[in-house]
Amino acid sequence: MIQPYDAIVVGAGHNGLTTAAYLAKADKRVLVLERRDIVGGVTVTQEVHTGFKFDTWVHGVGWLHPKVMRDLDLAHHGLEILRNDPTVFAPLPDGAHLTLWQDGGKTVETLRGFSSSDANKWGAFAERVAQVAQILEAAYSVTPPDIRAGSFDDLIKILKLGGRLRRLGRRNMMEVIRLLPMSVAEFLDEWFETDVLKGTLGASGISGIFQGPRASGTTFILAHHHVGSPKGVFRSLGLVRGGVGNLSAALAGAARQHGAEIRTGAEVEQVVIVEGQARGVVLASGEEIAASQIISNADPHATFLGLVGPLNLPQDFVQKVRNIKFRGACARVNLALDELPSFTSLPGDGPHLRGVISISPSLNYLERAYDDAKYGGISQQPYLEASIPSLADPTLAPSGKHVMTIAVQYAPYQLKQGLWDDAQRELLFDTVVETLTEYAPNLTGAILHSQVLTPLDLEQEFGLTEGNLNHGELTLDQLFFMRPVPGWAQYRTPIKNLYLCGAGTHPGGGVAAASGYNAAREILKDA
Amino acid sequence: MGRVPHYDAIVIGGGHNGLTTAAYLAKAGKQVLLLERRDILGGATVTEEIYPGFKYSVASYVVSLLRPDVIRELKLAEHGLEIVPLESSFSPLPGGDYLVRWADRDQTRREIYRHSPHDADLYPEFGRLMSQMARAVKPLISMAPPDPTSLNPKELLELAKLGRYFARDLEQEHFYSLVKLMTMSVADFLDEWFESEPLKAVMSSSGIIGTFLGPRSPGTAYVMLHHFMGEIDGVFRAWGFPRGGTGAVAESIASAARSYGVEIRTSADVEQVIVKKGRALGVALESGEEIYARRVVSGVDPKRTFLKLVDESHLPSDFVEDIRRFRIQGSSGKVNLALSELPHFTGLPADGPHLRGFISVGPSIEYLERAYDDAKYGAFSRRPYLDIVIPSAIDPAMAPPGKHVMSIFVQHAPYNLNGGWNDAQREAFGDAVVDTLAEFAPNIKDAILHRQVLTPWDLEQVMGLTEGNIFQGELSLHQLFFLRPAAGWARYRTPVKNLYLCGSAAHPGGGISSAPGRLAALEILKNWSKPWSS
Repeated sequence: MIQPYDAIVVGAGHNGLTTAAYLAKADKRVLVLERRDIVGGVTVTQEVHTGFKFDTWVHGVGWLHPKVMRDLDLAHHGLEILRNDPTVFAPLPDGAHLTLWQDGGKTVETLRGFSSSDANKWGAFAERVAQVAQILEAAYSVTPPDIRAGSFDDLIKILKLGGRLRRLGRRNMMEVIRLLPMSVAEFLDEWFETDVLKGTLGASGISGIFQGPRASGTTFILAHHHVGSPKGVFRSLGLVRGGVGNLSAALAGAARQHGAEIRTGAEVEQVVIVEGQARGVVLASGEEIAASQIISNADPHATFLGLVGPLNLPQDFVQKVRNIKFRGACARVNLALDELPSFTSLPGDGPHLRGVISISPSLNYLERAYDDAKYGGISQQPYLEASIPSLADPTLAPSGKHVMTIAVQYAPYQLKQGLWDDAQRELLFDTVVETLTEYAPNLTGAILHSQVLTPLDLEQEFGLTEGNLNHGELTLDQLFFMRPVPGWAQYRTPIKNLYLCGAGTHPGGGVAAASGYNAAREILKDA
Repeated sequence: MGRVPHYDAIVIGGGHNGLTTAAYLAKAGKQVLLLERRDILGGATVTEEIYPGFKYSVASYVVSLLRPDVIRELKLAEHGLEIVPLESSFSPLPGGDYLVRWADRDQTRREIYRHSPHDADLYPEFGRLMSQMARAVKPLISMAPPDPTSLNPKELLELAKLGRYFARDLEQEHFYSLVKLMTMSVADFLDEWFESEPLKAVMSSSGIIGTFLGPRSPGTAYVMLHHFMGEIDGVFRAWGFPRGGTGAVAESIASAARSYGVEIRTSADVEQVIVKKGRALGVALESGEEIYARRVVSGVDPKRTFLKLVDESHLPSDFVEDIRRFRIQGSSGKVNLALSELPHFTGLPADGPHLRGFISVGPSIEYLERAYDDAKYGAFSRRPYLDIVIPSAIDPAMAPPGKHVMSIFVQHAPYNLNGGWNDAQREAFGDAVVDTLAEFAPNIKDAILHRQVLTPWDLEQVMGLTEGNIFQGELSLHQLFFLRPAAGWARYRTPVKNLYLCGSAAHPGGGISSAPGRLAALEILKNWSKPWSS
């Protein structure tokens, strides 16, 4: 019997599209099925209010795998990334502010205003984090070794990574090993004394996880977010011209160009499994489509406990999937603004509004925000990362008006009083606006429209378990050969011909396309 | 300067590890002098009659980690060591309910069943896993850690063996469990198994003891495992009380040391390690006396050793930097009580077997986490976690007839208290402890005859532990194994030739284990004929 497709990709998030594009490029007949009526998953831009385009959940790209950019010729498909300078602007309630720049010299100059010791250490600090990020970047482009199998390939992989470490020299090598399990608070305390600097750098160590800056492993996350950044450039976020949805559009364009077929409004309800092998999918409409390989871009929880079903899987594997920590902790507030916010510490328009605006006055501020959340509340004074993409790209808002997108932490999926409801949503909105208004008093008056998105929305609208953007927390126990579950880190699953390609796999997180790229390589090996 | 050494080795500090190293060196035929600053031996492992007739295990209070090989090799039983097992763990809960785990497995199961049938079913399996994990890491705690950056073929071979062990010999699922234990928070780790809050709380409390962390902090699962590693007579997870208090452990090791010929001097405060041309030659006492030896071994913590006893000019600046940033903040205090009667816990008989084991006040994960929250911002816990033992209920000789001593380990009490520790703060801390306990055992306040309160600041002043850290350095992942106490210096050697470390700051870390002391002695003896050179 001739099957119409070699591979079906379930879910058109950026990783799913990447895998599809690579498979199609290798002459496979590929079908991508997306439940929603637009592609991109959380990497979408939507015009929620007429004339205002919101980057709904993801407001920029950090590290986008450079090989994916090249291989799929994304620039040709319309992707243009705008780098912000300054990278981050952190206002303080007392009227001071910290700005970090693309140019290291300028950053040092800024730091000198706070502490000459911090300014003097900046170069060495930048060097150290770059070393760690380099090692991570190398690790992110390979399939995690199955340390237990002890195959020749896996041994070579381990030796190669070890060799890379060794090239750093003895002391640096030890430092890199030492840093990864540290808490970002411990790490930054070793270097700096300025609270707002530590808070603003430390924020990238907690972003996306349900832990505070004193949690072991948060230094890893800081370095994770630094992968792909030039040395000394912190919290740089690439804005996508036309909105981050254009990244998904470019990937979809590349996939289609290579012959992949993409169907939206097509909800996969089940993966068809016959004798332990994936044979196809069943849509909500009842339609059945067969293929030799099924690749899920959904998170491992949704894939195995939803699409596959626990009864088709070994019991201990199901237990491992159930034990994955998701617990989304981020919410999103998107605003349509009549005018730009004017910060007390730096009034009016200026380059500072083009960077990421970070409310992170100190590590203790972040820790207290976490304290509220760990007992099931919304942070009373949350950590906020805001950006105003309409400054770099005026097409996102009507002339003279702006869009502002705000990532909020912490807003736990599990609230003490139960599920998120309208009252909680309103409380979240008020908390965010009040917090920002302390720094930019005109903000409240400038709001024309707003959109509030909670972790529950993320789960209900995008199918992300417990509203976790990264398809599982990026904590040390859920990384590398432990991701998504121990023993299954090579994109394969206990079901033959069923693969994972989403952020729930190594390296996961961010808009990196690395999971999708790595998965495609493994799938093609088996095809 | 060709001084004639008076001794083969001088050991600085008469804590249990220093005594252990001294005993092993002397047993190998070396002439050893041990110098202790205080007038009694034991360091933090002491029994003192602070209040007439009542013997307090002043600081450390129970034994579990003491290496069976040390007990055997130093014949500690012959030197008077007798360990009485602590057979229960009792957690009073608000409202008079409680959870007790007994030595008898069926009894424990029935008791846990009352709280959760699901947990009762899984409890034995969890216990098996933890015993297996403790065995799995046993090779690690029984070896001097190889340096992964070393190109020395011997160390590389050890490293390869270790890799092989983890990759081949260890069962696959055990390997992954170990990775999880190393990286997860104890609360998350237990959540994968259990649902009953009191059970999770009491089990997670061993993950925070001695740390500046809460049960939701990653890394605490490892600390729980560290506390599971204890064996008494080969039985893992067993805890015991040394007859005569923990000081009896130090006394038995001292007695063994003396029997091998170790000379022990108390009230001998070492002020400086004499170093010439990068080589340790001996020590200078506060009295001005200088004593020379072929090896100098420090049982005191690395901050004290390298930032006070050794002049910085003898050390590489990288190393000094590593020692400075070594995290050692103390987070626990101790309250010792002399009692006219036993505490009467609400809902249970006044006296009973539940008072002869551990009493753990920390009814929920949230309770423990909130106790940590206070400390994070520089206050002692308003409602602290208490780990209590009543030594006199086990060994009546600890108190006059009918009376009792109570040992309360308290978490969290930060060394860096807002405003600093003073007499008023110490008393307020003591009050917080007694008030917390009185919520569960209302008669306690009237029963108190005498109260000794030790803050981390006191532990530093009295015992010489920098910042009052009971492990001579936090047991966080980046301060373990080949990173303890500093990268490249985990094999008991130091950048100063002939100077060694043997205390809890060295691998495998704290607790009354004597493991660092023994491993240090073995390393020192290994290189005896051929002084170590870089």
